[in-house]
Amino acid sequence: MLSESARMTTAEEARYRIDYPNSKPRATKVIALDPASEAVVKRLAQGQWQQASFFTSLKFDGAPRGGEGWTMKAWLSDLAGRTKDLIDEVTSADLVVMVASAGTKPDAAGVIAEACGTRKVMTTALIIGSEASSDEELSKTLASLRPYTSMLVIASNDDYIEEMLVALRA
Amino acid sequence: MLRKEQNDLLTQTGPATPFGQMFRCYWVPALLAEELPENECPPVRVKLFSERLLAFRDTDGKYGLIDEFCAHRGVSLWFGRNEESGLRCPYHGWKYDVTGQCIDVPSEAAESGFCKKIKLTSYPLVKIGPVLWTYMGPPDKQPPLPEWEFSLVPPEQCFISKRLQESNWLQAMEGGIDSSHVSFLHRGDLGSDPLFKGAKGNKYNLSDMKPHFEVVEQPGGLYIGARRNAENGNYYWRITPWVMPNFTMIPPRGDHPMHGHFWVPIDDHNCWAWTYDFHPTRALTKDERAAMQAGQGLHCKYVAGSYRPLANKDNDYLMDRAAQKAGKTYSGIAGFAIQDSSLQESMGPVCDRTKENLVSTDNGIIMARHRMLRALKTFTDKGTLPPGVDPEHHKIRSVSIVLPPDQAFKDGARDALTRKLGKAQTTV
Ligand code: FES
Ligand SMILES: [Fe+2]
Repeated sequence: MLSESARMTTAEEARYRIDYPNSKPRATKVIALDPASEAVVKRLAQGQWQQASFFTSLKFDGAPRGGEGWTMKAWLSDLAGRTKDLIDEVTSADLVVMVASAGTKPDAAGVIAEACGTRKVMTTALIIGSEASSDEELSKTLASLRPYTSMLVIASNDDYIEEMLVALRA
Repeated sequence: MLRKEQNDLLTQTGPATPFGQMFRCYWVPALLAEELPENECPPVRVKLFSERLLAFRDTDGKYGLIDEFCAHRGVSLWFGRNEESGLRCPYHGWKYDVTGQCIDVPSEAAESGFCKKIKLTSYPLVKIGPVLWTYMGPPDKQPPLPEWEFSLVPPEQCFISKRLQESNWLQAMEGGIDSSHVSFLHRGDLGSDPLFKGAKGNKYNLSDMKPHFEVVEQPGGLYIGARRNAENGNYYWRITPWVMPNFTMIPPRGDHPMHGHFWVPIDDHNCWAWTYDFHPTRALTKDERAAMQAGQGLHCKYVAGSYRPLANKDNDYLMDRAAQKAGKTYSGIAGFAIQDSSLQESMGPVCDRTKENLVSTDNGIIMARHRMLRALKTFTDKGTLPPGVDPEHHKIRSVSIVLPPDQAFKDGARDALTRKLGKAQTTV
């Protein structure tokens, strides 16, 4: 359109892109689902983050689902071991990242995903340590995470989680 | 988001840059064989990785890719006379062979041997199928020739084109592994383009607009899998391999030819977007070839006598607001290729990744950057050659397949993901 005061971007024109922060920090909750992932998540938690917080679901591994006294609330603890309300944490999250090691069968994934589903919070799952595990072990973990996430990443390198969180401005 | 230093690293590919040095370890498509159609034909100016070069084909059919400028006083050898096994500078008659070696300096006595002391930089230029490939890295690290399936099938089974893209190579490549844009930007064309329509898989695509993704590392790069619901609780998978740094292959649709891209930096603000189409087991039909030549599928129409798309930034890509409004095209731009180039060029010559807000479905892109930065570090620190250099990494295929719900696609489709020359592809 001749009436427009700018044309398609050129190298020269690109300088005029307005410079300002175009997003607010997003709350990312990172949850370890097994001991090996917990070690990785603990290390990550040492870093500088905008609005990421780190949890583990380990304490509740093997806990029965449903039945008397069952609640979706427990299932999460912070890295110091304090029990956290899963529903509260998910409600205040923009993204929930679950971390599992290849070869494990993370029971908590289903509960966490259910909580995310009711709150319409996006979930991502990362499987680490795939390099060292057999196809069978990997499939086991995959099968227990796949139904619950819209994005699943199988990473050969633990560093990837950190890279991903930085890329997502966590 | 990338930090500025990381963005600079991955987007700068000139001779003295770290990524430029790593990128030079790969064979890359330099030009189409049709650009040098016969012996002693006119030479062609080629800029790659911010180096100005000249490609020519001598009297004996040998190909050369040499420094564009005469060592005497810097004249462009594009004006040269291609005669008697060499290219002669029209200014004072210095002559060079395809290796850049000066073979005649008329002002000096031949016996003086002066011309032996003059040599222009040159790179190998090798014809494989319809493409002339070059390798611009250190000669002692030159890997074996590439073994991509499209370049090894008989000529009647393959069609390849290139188009100028006026943007940095990285944003073009990232568009190729950005699986979540297809359901938006290209949605109008799946059902109508002659090179896509009619495949059973299209039904799954259109009935499930919210695919789930899996990103899996493989030795040469990544597999990016998108799954949608199929019958009986099974999943319809579309698996795109990305081989480092600049190759992808799009999952097939029915018995249509398979296709994919290469992106090659011209300089930091321009790249070549290469598009290949091939069928593993049969000749392309007359209609398929005609459609490709007419710019359908992933190809495009050109400004006459060039490889610049007819729809380009100077004419706003022939934006059609009525088609946009009517939903005939999602963005108002016609054709897969220009839908991509228009948006990728609109990011500016080098996309400022410090300003982006990626989401979890961008994990394919995040992982690709991570793999390249990781490879760059070991390349710079230890000289380790990056993934994708080894021709073993070229022996892959894209796949579309229906699998049971709990199967890892890397296992379920292991065989299908492996290149098998002369054998049919796995496709739905
Ligand atoms: S919606 Fe993805 S770039 Fe605008
Ligand atoms: Fe596209």
